Amino acid sequence: MKRTTIQILVLFIFSIVIAGCQKLDDNLFNPNENKITEYQLNNYKGEVDFKLPESYQISNDKVHLFTLESKAADEAEATTIHAVYIGDRQRIATDTVIMYCHGNKDHMDFYWPRAQLLANVNGKNNYGILMIDYRGYGLSGGKPSEKALYVDVTTALAWLSSQGLTSNRLIMYGFSMGSIPATHLTAEPVNLKPEKLMLEAPIASAKVMVQDATGLATPAAFVTDLKIDNVEMIKKVTQPLFWIHGTKDDFLNINTHGQLVFDNHKGSFKEAHKIAGAGHSNIPLEMGFQNYLQVVGNFIRR
Amino acid sequence: MKKTLTLYLICLVVMSSCAPSRFVKPLQKNQQAVNVALGGPLFEYSDVVIPMPFLSASYGYGFDSTLTGFAALNVSAALFGNLQMEIGATKQVLKQSGYVPAISITPVANLIYKNKDAKKFYPQLDLNAFWEFNQNRNLFYAGVSNWFELAGKKAHEQEQTNHWLISPHIGQTFIRKRWDFTIEAKIIAPNISYESNVVDYKSPLGKRGAFGIYFGYTRKF
Repeated sequence: MKRTTIQILVLFIFSIVIAGCQKLDDNLFNPNENKITEYQLNNYKGEVDFKLPESYQISNDKVHLFTLESKAADEAEATTIHAVYIGDRQRIATDTVIMYCHGNKDHMDFYWPRAQLLANVNGKNNYGILMIDYRGYGLSGGKPSEKALYVDVTTALAWLSSQGLTSNRLIMYGFSMGSIPATHLTAEPVNLKPEKLMLEAPIASAKVMVQDATGLATPAAFVTDLKIDNVEMIKKVTQPLFWIHGTKDDFLNINTHGQLVFDNHKGSFKEAHKIAGAGHSNIPLEMGFQNYLQVVGNFIRR
Repeated sequence: MKKTLTLYLICLVVMSSCAPSRFVKPLQKNQQAVNVALGGPLFEYSDVVIPMPFLSASYGYGFDSTLTGFAALNVSAALFGNLQMEIGATKQVLKQSGYVPAISITPVANLIYKNKDAKKFYPQLDLNAFWEFNQNRNLFYAGVSNWFELAGKKAHEQEQTNHWLISPHIGQTFIRKRWDFTIEAKIIAPNISYESNVVDYKSPLGKRGAFGIYFGYTRKF
């Protein structure tokens, strides 16, 4: 009996250890799977979703790495986060700028080809691009959290504002997890109010993620405290919406996630681009970089 | 983005498949038993595929030799702050006759409670055919576990299209005087496609269902 008791105890502890490893809310965030010690951007040789032909490369004099101090109203101390601005900083007061909110993996080096591609919309360096590493990503300090997404992007927008950007020249772009702060801060702007919202493979909500996984109408609260709800948030967005999603997205299903966000947008203009055969991470590659730039450029120009 | 969310969400399916069959064959009249069960769907952990080590404990009582009532608690769900319980009964409806198996049915009420806004009731009905052999020291069983989703709507008022999760299983129980040891293999919800889904379940059916392995230890007294 004693031996059996010990065996049961071991199983119980094993269960707790494994379950403990799965602190659910933390698992939304996947920073630094490929760790870096410095940002390499153009010279980054690590894993990326796709590589760009040389013709899309941005010259180093248009690439500005810097840090920001990010602090929520209820925080005692600021957290240093890293940012990259592509373009001429002196022209932010007159340029149109795309605030690019990246996905949940790694860091800015991983998303560099995407940001660089956007710097080619309607011509090379026609628009400025700002990308940040949220807390816990790349070399940014702190720990990732849902709240940090909002706080850090708000900090980035405050910086753009301080450089002279006005709301009517701000385009908000969110990819995957980046759709969370992008949608939230377009619906409920803290400082700058984006002129347009662009979403690539957006998340519908924490509820949908959970229910897609179970196949049941399971309350998300059983496993997460995340409050992500782009479906509700998009209802408050009146600005024009651009939505692009791969039909073969095997991570955030086009119908249960993207379509739901798109359908709930109540603004006066929206356009959808369903990319046949594209998955979650390869839309620009699947549709062709030029085609991608064309549809993005047309939306920004209209 | 996919990798970590796989871990994040795979525990969800465990909620609907957290345990092997509680009692396939009813206890003797007035006999009591406590059982601990460990296992779940296969997932990859540190590059090794293992069954999710989710733990549950149950207590059973033999009302008569054909009817056993039981209650179970999902210990692992409690670690996530959820009270997950099962209340059910196993009724043997047919005796074994040579190669013709005995048959039992097990209706179960699955109750999960997190807070007033997050609570669920899932009815479940298990059907098992079992054969005792080797002087009743071994019991082999095959059956299906059926979970039913009663909700007509899911998040954001979308239609809930899956109402029936069928999970076929086979198992072997090694019966001793005071204890039993059971191992069970189950294909969880092969009627549901996870083709376009966040979770990479391990299944012999590709993108349909998930494959689970469970171990159970029962102490009888």
